[in-house]
Amino acid sequence: MVSTELPPLARAESLLELADFDEVVRLYRPRIFRFLMASLADRDVAESLTQDCFLKAYTARHQFRGESSLVTWLTRIALNLLRDHLRNRRMRFWQKTRDSALDIVDVGEWLPDGACTPEDTCLQQERVREIWRSVEKLSRQQRTVFLLRFVEEMELSEIAETTGMNTSTVKSHLYRALRIVRERLSGKSEGEQ
Amino acid sequence: MNKHPEQLRDALPPDEVLLEPSGQFGNDLRNLRAAIHRAAERQTPPTVPFGWLNAAKQRRRGTQRRLMLAWSLAALLLASALPLLHHSRTAAPAPITDDTALLEQVDTAVSESVPSSLAPLDAFDNVDTTTSTNTHASLNKSEKKHVSQ
Repeated sequence: MVSTELPPLARAESLLELADFDEVVRLYRPRIFRFLMASLADRDVAESLTQDCFLKAYTARHQFRGESSLVTWLTRIALNLLRDHLRNRRMRFWQKTRDSALDIVDVGEWLPDGACTPEDTCLQQERVREIWRSVEKLSRQQRTVFLLRFVEEMELSEIAETTGMNTSTVKSHLYRALRIVRERLSGKSEGEQ
Repeated sequence: MNKHPEQLRDALPPDEVLLEPSGQFGNDLRNLRAAIHRAAERQTPPTVPFGWLNAAKQRRRGTQRRLMLAWSLAALLLASALPLLHHSRTAAPAPITDDTALLEQVDTAVSESVPSSLAPLDAFDNVDTTTSTNTHASLNKSEKKHVSQ
């Protein structure tokens, strides 16, 4: 598995020199792809946007001043691309088909094999699917904050820096997102009982 | 050594405790994270393919070309529409709102001098008008005569 830990050189401008850019791509591509795929639930579009993100980062590498970490900067670029893409997709409303869409039913299947009984595994898969369905229903900002916090494990201050919101707004979005997901999950559990 | 999620939760400020779910829900979120990480890993090859960014470069060039084409077409349309617009503005007579102004315009149009090439026609028209006037006069005379009789 490729490590996505911040390298010690992350704040150095020299990291974005041409010679090192391959290393930047190697280190951060999985992370950016994962965030985009989770946001869009579409593998092909996520791959295209990841490429666009790194191309943009490469062409704008001289603008990186090292004020934020490299991963924050890259995620911010990815987030801007994502926003543009969603805006364009809303305009091209006839493009409904998504051949490469990541089916929500599949998400539960990706759970790592643990030392659980088949019944427990089945139950966990169902709960993960239900969370995933709830996340898809969140507003764009709530979903972004939720994914950055609970999938990418970013700190609240990092999320604020990436999204351009202040920390209290991030907390507010996260709180609402959690409440919606939790309510939906508990409602589902009660319904099953 | 990694801390247990519950220990991490205890270290948080009070307003952030709510944002760090624990118990079953916390486990569910961890499972979701693991599932998404695993799904993403399966979807991407571990090594970056050679020329990976070329597709993005081609897309960007394509977009730039389309944008330039769109601007060129817009400029061309504008350039071709401008003379027409200008012509229609200069050629169109000003709308007349006043009756007096309309009469003046008619007078001016009627009293315009005839071009030299059409002068014979003008003379003929004058003759015709005179003849017609004379005919009218004689008719009036004969009508009066008949009436008096």
